[in-house]
Amino acid sequence: MNAPISSFASGPLVETSAARVSQSAPCGRLSLRARGDLAPFEAVLGLSLGGPIGARATAGETESIRLGPDEWMLHCPVEAVAGLEAALAPLYGSHPHSLVDVSGRETSFVIEGPRASELLTMGCPRDIETILPGSGRRTVFDGVTVILWRDAADRFRMDLWHSFAPHLLHLLETGSRELAAESL
Amino acid sequence: MSQYRVSGRGRVDTSRPVSFTFDGKTFTGAQGDTVASALLANGVHLMGRSFKYHRPRGPVAAGSEEPNALIGTRRGAGRFEPNTRATVQEIWDGLQTNSQNKYPSLKFDVGAVNDAAYMLFSAGFYYKTFMWPRSFWDKVYEPFIRGAAGLGVSPTEEDPDHYASRNMHCDVLIVGAGPSGLAAARAAAVEGLKVVLVDESPEAGGTLLSEPQVKIDGKPAWDWLAAEVEALKALGVKIMTRTTAIAYYHQNMVGLCEKLTDHLATLPADTPRERLWRVRAGQVVLAQGALEKPLVFHGNDRPGVMLAGSAQTYLNRYGVLVGTRPVVVTSHDSAWYAAFDLADAGAKVQAIVDIREGVHEALLTEARARGIPVKLSHTATATSGRLRVSKIRVNPVRGGQVGSGTEIDCDAVLMSGGWTPSLHLFSHTKGSLAWNDDLTTFLPEKTPEDCVIAGASRGLWGVEAALRDGAEKGREVVAALGKSGASVAYAVADDRTGTGVSMKELPTDRSPGKAKAFVDYQNDVTAKDLRLAVREGMRSIEHVKRYTTNGMATDQGKMSNINGLNIASDALGKKQPQVGLTTFRPPYTPTTFGAFAGYHRGSHFEVTRKTRIDEWAAQHGAAFEPVGQWRRAWYFPKAGESMDDAVRRECAATRESLGIFDASTLGKIEVVGPDAVEFMNRMYTNPWTKLGVGRCRYGLLCGDDGFIRDDGVIGRMGQDRFHVTTTTGGAARVLNMMEDYLQTEWPDLNVWLTSTTEQWATVALNGPNAAKLLAPLVEGVELTEEAFPHMSCVECTVAGMPARLFRVSFTGEIGFEVNVPAPMGRQLWETLWDAGQQYGITPYGTETMHVLRAEKGYIIVGQDTDGTVTPFDAGMGWAVGKAKPDFVGKRGLARPDLVAKGRKQLVGLLSEDGSKLEEGAQIVFDPKQPIPMKMVGHVTSSYDVGTTGRPIALALVEGGHDRLGEIVHIPMPDRTIAAKITGTVFFDPENARLKI
Repeated sequence: MNAPISSFASGPLVETSAARVSQSAPCGRLSLRARGDLAPFEAVLGLSLGGPIGARATAGETESIRLGPDEWMLHCPVEAVAGLEAALAPLYGSHPHSLVDVSGRETSFVIEGPRASELLTMGCPRDIETILPGSGRRTVFDGVTVILWRDAADRFRMDLWHSFAPHLLHLLETGSRELAAESL
Repeated sequence: MSQYRVSGRGRVDTSRPVSFTFDGKTFTGAQGDTVASALLANGVHLMGRSFKYHRPRGPVAAGSEEPNALIGTRRGAGRFEPNTRATVQEIWDGLQTNSQNKYPSLKFDVGAVNDAAYMLFSAGFYYKTFMWPRSFWDKVYEPFIRGAAGLGVSPTEEDPDHYASRNMHCDVLIVGAGPSGLAAARAAAVEGLKVVLVDESPEAGGTLLSEPQVKIDGKPAWDWLAAEVEALKALGVKIMTRTTAIAYYHQNMVGLCEKLTDHLATLPADTPRERLWRVRAGQVVLAQGALEKPLVFHGNDRPGVMLAGSAQTYLNRYGVLVGTRPVVVTSHDSAWYAAFDLADAGAKVQAIVDIREGVHEALLTEARARGIPVKLSHTATATSGRLRVSKIRVNPVRGGQVGSGTEIDCDAVLMSGGWTPSLHLFSHTKGSLAWNDDLTTFLPEKTPEDCVIAGASRGLWGVEAALRDGAEKGREVVAALGKSGASVAYAVADDRTGTGVSMKELPTDRSPGKAKAFVDYQNDVTAKDLRLAVREGMRSIEHVKRYTTNGMATDQGKMSNINGLNIASDALGKKQPQVGLTTFRPPYTPTTFGAFAGYHRGSHFEVTRKTRIDEWAAQHGAAFEPVGQWRRAWYFPKAGESMDDAVRRECAATRESLGIFDASTLGKIEVVGPDAVEFMNRMYTNPWTKLGVGRCRYGLLCGDDGFIRDDGVIGRMGQDRFHVTTTTGGAARVLNMMEDYLQTEWPDLNVWLTSTTEQWATVALNGPNAAKLLAPLVEGVELTEEAFPHMSCVECTVAGMPARLFRVSFTGEIGFEVNVPAPMGRQLWETLWDAGQQYGITPYGTETMHVLRAEKGYIIVGQDTDGTVTPFDAGMGWAVGKAKPDFVGKRGLARPDLVAKGRKQLVGLLSEDGSKLEEGAQIVFDPKQPIPMKMVGHVTSSYDVGTTGRPIALALVEGGHDRLGEIVHIPMPDRTIAAKITGTVFFDPENARLKI
């Protein structure tokens, strides 16, 4: 599995009767770390940062997922990154936080199909069924840290660092074929 | 159909004949047969030779506990497996099998001379025989032992199969789909719990498959079973067959190995051979049943001698009579029923020989009704027959005295020494066991896991008891999961309950010292071996086991442990619990390496990470080397160049004009927050408070022991924001270490860490023309000595891309590292490449980077340090902030041994003869001292190409910093090389070349 991610074809990367894997379009990604009063951040972003770990919120084209008590991942259009940085910067003095652009670090796979959640069990020790549609988790897949966003019962997004993408795609491909060959 | 196949019996489909080969000869079995049942149906008992004595052996059991009938199987090209249990391998058209451990043939094996010489091969044979003379070890003993060791032949071809793995979560995992497992499954499933029921067999049912006469709730066992399996599936129970629970790990994680294709003649596409499941279960029910014990008497291993319960299984499950004239020898009621079943299927049972003085009247009545002679209070003392049992000698026992023997003609001996609860997985949980005197066995007591054990595996006997207990234990786990279930009762008729006694070796009228009464069939351990071990001083069962190898074969003593314990405790004159039981370890049955490797083989063996510039390097002929998980360009050979040629050219081009290097793999961590500088002060040895924004500094990271862990250049991008770089291999480790301190030691610090390793693509430009190339492309800063001195950093624009520009040098030349968002990395590289053509820009790899830095004496953590080197040892005391109140490693650095004289210190070495030293070579002060010489250090880095005109080396040498100018010696296989200790900087010690 040595093809670099830049050589991935457009369209589905994997497609079987069990699951389909494609690479999502590039987006802006910001790692937000903050403690204490979240209201000022929520006011700027226009979305709720509260809720349990794994909770998600959406405002327009900005999406957030809570990864830890003081950690969120924000997704937004690429061109919106600078605006969000500029909008949050004034809060720093009164509400110290860390906002780091990681748009270049990651990519996302869209994993969907009737057996998408079973496909994830091949690399993820967490109980996929406890990640309810509309929520997500930071977890591991095949030993690599990923963020899973469950968009529907049979559709997930997997955020991962670029350099791990070919390796993980290889397992997703092997696994999709394995599942498709199974008689149920 | 052969005389051994009984029509109307068994679950095999005789209308679908299957042909396979054994030792080249074609045999026909029925769909559903195992190799063992099919061969037995053809009258073949001889299936292999034993490990040590090469004695002829046949199957003694009918399941996965089989110690004897181990065969080689070939499932097509490349698909050879040794030591497959013939009792487990299902047959299919075209399957090839062979016997093992024989030469030239199974029926005539020259290795059988070991059997005649058995007196030589007693317990501790290896320890006693191979002691002396010492000189014999390498040439004689070890090759002999290696030649004799192991059973079967290792496969030589690469395995063409693939293997899979999955994770699974469930409320209740039930191991064993016999009566107690089925009842537990129902109890949990009716409450809506997610239930998984696994069994190693091809079908669920366990003992019910061998006991078709039982009636449950008014239905014949097999009808009830079929309906119950369907009903459980309808309730949502996941029933997994051909699936062995191989191990019980911590916190209710159970490993399952599911065999998917070994039973298929045609391999389906994209289907793995085996799948390893990692199951995390809320509650586990262990319902593994019990395993029958052999009786220990002379000749109890002859083909045709087998467990009575197994004979019953061969008849009822496979429709095979293991003999037409069997003799039954037993100490348990269960074997009587085996005799009755075989008699009812047409066998002429020659006798039932029972060790006990009396048995239940009902058994005697049944035997009488079938005309079977009964011999109570009798022992078996010998069998005869060359490749198959033909006679058994039985003797009366009266008041402890063994009377004279009588021989009975037979073609099979069915033995039962009672039953051992299967406690393997329970034992994996570190569950405690309690000795039960009545049952003469260990029973499960307490386990730290969320686990219950049901049915025969906790000593209960009979289908009704197992069903009742399974239902009860099922309710227990239901309650543990916060639900309440109603009790379920099963009406069972024609159950066969019974009791028995557990024996040591059977009494005999012959010399026990000459008896070949086997306890462990697979390792050829006899009762006399165990007694010898005790006589020679072994007291604990753990010692007896290792001395005799009893229970150490791949079956882990499933049959031999309790018999071995009974004999050892008798020899020691102690009760069994005082002698102890050895520990069962995973896996429950032998498991392929493939199952454990899963998907991680071939190209998927390990992650290979690549930078955004990797593809360019490949297109330009780079040779690569792995660094951590990354593959990095090592050097860029031109046509006809060797590695040395290429590295020499790359070094020269960089020093003379301009080199370009992909440094993207360097670890990067963004440290942000009001306490960022305090965090840096505590983490790194250096002081950071006075570092201005826009400046960078070389940082050194120690562990709390004071030894160097990592290093890198760190830029202060803002008052509260640092851009930290780490070594390529250390990135994840350093971030983890920092998070560890932050979360456990300094939760008060308001600072956050974010990995930006892959956010940035990093291109390093080095050489006298580096600034000239870059200056026209940079907006936002002037690349002059005044505006942007060495060790500066700035956010700016490079070739129109947002960038973090660092002026740093790991070569001694004018150097820059340009960081741009990773997706732009390739574009930046190509822009610089094109613009650099006027300077003869030369791409270089990690090898040239290593040479150029070594010439400047810059260390590489992990090469010039090995986890025992302090900053002072490395000559970098200047990087330690002595005025700081604390930092990680400060206390460690004050330890007496870390400040003592004579520590190994990093120095330069120049060989006197101009040769290149070998990395790792040991150093001595006096080459004339006697061997073994005192080694005082080793060469850590050595290069024979470069720009200094001679080979150079770095080395750790005792007290090296005080020995500059001294000569040390490096003994090599062919000569001893003298070398002079120097400083570590070989090139431009004034750093004049760093100036623009």
